[in-house]
Amino acid sequence: MSQRNEQSTQSRLEGVSHWLIHHAARQAPESLSSRLEEEWLADLQCRSTALSKLGHALGCCWATVVIVNEYSRVQVPAASRVVAAKGYITLADRNFGYFSLRSGTLFLILGLHATLFCGLITTLSLTRGLAAEPNLSNQVLNAVPIEITVLPGR
Amino acid sequence: MGKKDTNVRMSLQTLRVLEAFLENPTVQLAGAEVHQRCGIASGTLYPILLRLESAGWFVSQWESIDPSSAGRPRRRLYRLTSTGLRRASEVFASFNRGVLA
Repeated sequence: MSQRNEQSTQSRLEGVSHWLIHHAARQAPESLSSRLEEEWLADLQCRSTALSKLGHALGCCWATVVIVNEYSRVQVPAASRVVAAKGYITLADRNFGYFSLRSGTLFLILGLHATLFCGLITTLSLTRGLAAEPNLSNQVLNAVPIEITVLPGR
Repeated sequence: MGKKDTNVRMSLQTLRVLEAFLENPTVQLAGAEVHQRCGIASGTLYPILLRLESAGWFVSQWESIDPSSAGRPRRRLYRLTSTGLRRASEVFASFNRGVLA
């Protein structure tokens, strides 16, 4: 019974691995998509255990992210009438405006942290202000009588 | 057509891949075999192979087998080019001299 369960788990994991590779290859650039799918599926057969197959499939998903990132950075066809008329395709870097993607992400993270910090400070100051308000009224305290007791032998 | 950029960013993993091919420069290796030799995960390995191929250090071709008779799908095989062999040797020589390429 447990062996049957194990087999079904393994076949499920292999099914998930196949699906992940199909999915990853579909996300890859069109010119590489079918090649990568065939290559990765062939390499999947070389893995012995279901877990290593799943690891390979997950790795392929990550590889797609890296490949797409590099591919889009290096080879974005830029449509230019003059160049197109001559039958060429020019390659241009993707333009992210003033900042690169990495710098933009850094500024976004810094901005989110600054916003969170400001929000926290503002909330804390408001909470403290409300709590401290009743204590702000002036009160005159009565003089406390001080009794000095002299200890024996001193 | 512009000249192909043969410069490749050298990481430790890239060096390990090159080392696996330099052991026998004429050998053709599939991604799975490179994984077995170097222990590099798929997520790192395939972008490196593609990077080296697009830089002209590697060429790749499909394995010349009949999948139905072999009982398995054909694999993509990578091989060092003469440029790749020269550049990889230069990189390792510069490391031996203590100078980064």
